[in-house]
Amino acid sequence: MNVKKLISLSIAALLIVSVTAGCSGGQPTQKSAEQKPPEQKLADTGPIKIGFLGALTGNVASYGINTLKGMKLAVEEINAAGGVLGRPLEIVIEDNRGDKTEIANVTKKFVTRDKVAAVIGDPTTGGTKVAAAICQENKTVLVSAGAVGPGVVEIGDYIFRDVVIDPIAVPAVVKWLKDSLKWKRVALIVSVNNDYSVGQAKLFEDALKKEGIEIAIKESIQDGDTVFTSQVTKIKKANVDGMIAPIYYTEGALLMIEAKKQGLNKVFIGGDGLLSPVLWELAKGATEGCMVFAGFSPDEPDEITKKFIDKVKQVYNEEPDMFHAQGYDAVYLVADAMKRANSADPSVFKTALAQTKDLRGVCGVLTILPNREPLRTPINVLEVKGQKFALKARVPVTAPQ
Amino acid sequence: MIDAYTIQILVVFGINAIMALGLNLITGVTGQLSLGHAGFMSVGAYTAAIMTLRLHTPYVLNLLAAGVVAGLSGVVLGFPTLRLYGDYLAIATLGFGEIVRVLFLNLEITGGGLGLSAIPSKTNLAVVYACLGITLYVMSKIQKSRVGRALMAIREDEVAAIAMGVNSTSLKVQAFAVGAFFAGISGGLYAHYLTYINPNDFGFMKSIDSLSMVVLGGMGSLPGVLLGAAVLTYAPEKLRFLQNYRMICYGAFLVFMMVFRPNGLLGGTDLRQLVKASFKGLNWGAMAKQGARTREGIGGSKDGIA
Repeated sequence: MNVKKLISLSIAALLIVSVTAGCSGGQPTQKSAEQKPPEQKLADTGPIKIGFLGALTGNVASYGINTLKGMKLAVEEINAAGGVLGRPLEIVIEDNRGDKTEIANVTKKFVTRDKVAAVIGDPTTGGTKVAAAICQENKTVLVSAGAVGPGVVEIGDYIFRDVVIDPIAVPAVVKWLKDSLKWKRVALIVSVNNDYSVGQAKLFEDALKKEGIEIAIKESIQDGDTVFTSQVTKIKKANVDGMIAPIYYTEGALLMIEAKKQGLNKVFIGGDGLLSPVLWELAKGATEGCMVFAGFSPDEPDEITKKFIDKVKQVYNEEPDMFHAQGYDAVYLVADAMKRANSADPSVFKTALAQTKDLRGVCGVLTILPNREPLRTPINVLEVKGQKFALKARVPVTAPQ
Repeated sequence: MIDAYTIQILVVFGINAIMALGLNLITGVTGQLSLGHAGFMSVGAYTAAIMTLRLHTPYVLNLLAAGVVAGLSGVVLGFPTLRLYGDYLAIATLGFGEIVRVLFLNLEITGGGLGLSAIPSKTNLAVVYACLGITLYVMSKIQKSRVGRALMAIREDEVAAIAMGVNSTSLKVQAFAVGAFFAGISGGLYAHYLTYINPNDFGFMKSIDSLSMVVLGGMGSLPGVLLGAAVLTYAPEKLRFLQNYRMICYGAFLVFMMVFRPNGLLGGTDLRQLVKASFKGLNWGAMAKQGARTREGIGGSKDGIA
C-alpha cells in the first residue's frame, strides 16, 4: 500500500508537471523537417505556411485525406516553379478527427503558434464554421475546400470557399433543363428528414418557378426508406418530363430501381448527394442515364484538368474526386492572391483574394463574387453511362442578380 | 506569457473538468453508471445558445438557465430510470443521450442537422475558471455533507443504505439533477466558446470521454477527476507529433492505466489527504504512517470502486 501510494503520488506529480510544462513551454511540436530558427519575428523570409485543417482519421477522414493529397500536389508544383514571392510554400498538417473541439484547438495552434498565412479546410460545413470564427478573430485567411452549407462566408471578410454552392448552381442547371432538354413538367422528390435535401429542394422549387417549369407533383420520402412503390406510381400518373431528386445515393438508387420496375422511363437529376458509384453498384442498369451536377468532372477533361487527373493517378494510384480537386484549387487560389497582392500577409492578400476573377482551376473557372461567395463556371452535368459518370453537358453559370 | 493555443487548451480543460465533475457525483460518488452525460451537456448548450440568439438575455443568466434546464431534464430522466440497477440504468441513460441527439436533429428551433451557428463568443478563461471554482466548491461541500455520505453509502451497498434509513431513490435523483446541472453549465460554456454547435457533437463518444476522465482520474476523487480531465484533454494535443499513430497511443495509454491503476490515478484519495501526504512526503516514517492510516480509513471504499 505504501509503495502504491508513492507510485500514485509520483505519477500524479509527474503528470501535473508535464501538463503545466507542456502548456507554457511554447515549443512548436510541429513535424517539419527543416525547422527554421526559433525566434522568427515577421515571417517574411523562409517558407510561407499554409495550415491543412481536416480529418485524417475518423468518420469524415476520406474527405480530409483527399483534400490533403490535392493540396500536396499543388504545393509541389508551385514550389518546383519557384514558389510564391520567391518563397516556397509549406503545408502544416494536423489531424482533427472531425471533432469540433479539436478543430478549434488545431485552428488556434495554426494561427498563434505556427503563424500560418492561410488555413485550407475544413471539408465539412460545421467544422469550417468553428474554424472560421477563430480565423476571423485572429485575422488569418481561411479557404474552405468543401463547405457547401449556408452561413459560412458571412462569418467575416477573411473567410472564403472554393466549392460549387447550390444557390448558384441550381438555377443554372434548371435553366439548362428548360433550354436544352425542353422540360416543362417535372416531379420533385424530397427527403424530408435530410437537411441537404430539404435545402436543395427549396432552391429547385424557386428556380423552377422562375423558369416557368411546372412542378406536376411533389413527393416526400425519408432517409432510410426502402419501399417507394406508391411514390413512383403517383409520379407515373402525373406524366412528367423528368424527376428532380435532390436526395442521397442510397435512396436514389432504390427509387430508380422501383421506377424501372414500373416502367417509368424518365430521367432523374440530382446534386452531388447522388454522386457515388453506389448508384450503379446497387441499381445495376436502372440508373442508366441518371444525371448529377457537380463542379469537378473526371470525364472529357480540358488540358489543365487532364494534367491533374494524370498526376493523381501517377502519384497516388487512384481516381481523383471532388475533394482532391478542391484542395488542389484552394492552394492555387491562395497562391494567386498572394502573387497579385505581392504579400503573404493575410490582412493584405485577403483583399486580392476577394477580387479573384476568372482563375483557371481543375474545377473550371473561379470568380469570387462581391459577397465573397465563389462562382464556379461551368457546372458539369454528369450522366451515368455503364459503370461511370460521363460528361453530359457543361452548363455556364452567371452571377445571380 | 501564455499564448492563445495554451489558453485554448486550458479553456477546453476547464469545460471538460466541469462536465466530468458533474458526472463524478453521479458515477464516482453515488455509483450510478451514466452513459448519457453528453445529453445533458447538449441540453445546456442548446438552451444557452437559443436564449442568446433568440431572447438576447444576458450571458450569465443563459448559463444559469442552461444548468437549470439540464438539471430538470436530469430529474425527468432520473425519476423513472433510477429505480433500475447497474447495466439497466446504463442502457437507459444511453438511450436518453440518443433521444436528445435525435430530437435536436429534428427540431426546427435547434437548426436541425445544420446546427446553430454564429453564437456570440463570450466564454473566456476567467469565466470558465470561475465556474470551475464554483463547481469544485459545491462538489467538495456536497461530498463532505450528510447527503454526500449517504450517496457514498448508496454506492457501497444500496440495500444496506436503505436499511439504515437512506432514501435512496430521492437521493439518487438529486445527485442526477446536480450532476446534470453542471453538465448543462459546461454545455453553455462550450456553445459560447466554439460559437457553433451541432447535435452530433454531443454523441455517445462525448459521454464516454467524460466517463473516461472520471474513471482515469479516480472515481469519487475531486483532484483525481481534475487530473483525469487534464490528462485526457492534454494527451491528444501533446501526442500530435505522433501524427497518425496519435489515437492509438492515446488508447494504449488508457489500457495501460486501467491495467496498472484500476482505481484511477488518484482513486480513493481526496484533496486533504493529498496535500498532507505531499507535505509529509519528504519524511519516510510519516509517509508510512500516512499510508497505514489511509488503508484503514478508505481501504473498503477502494475495493468497492474497483
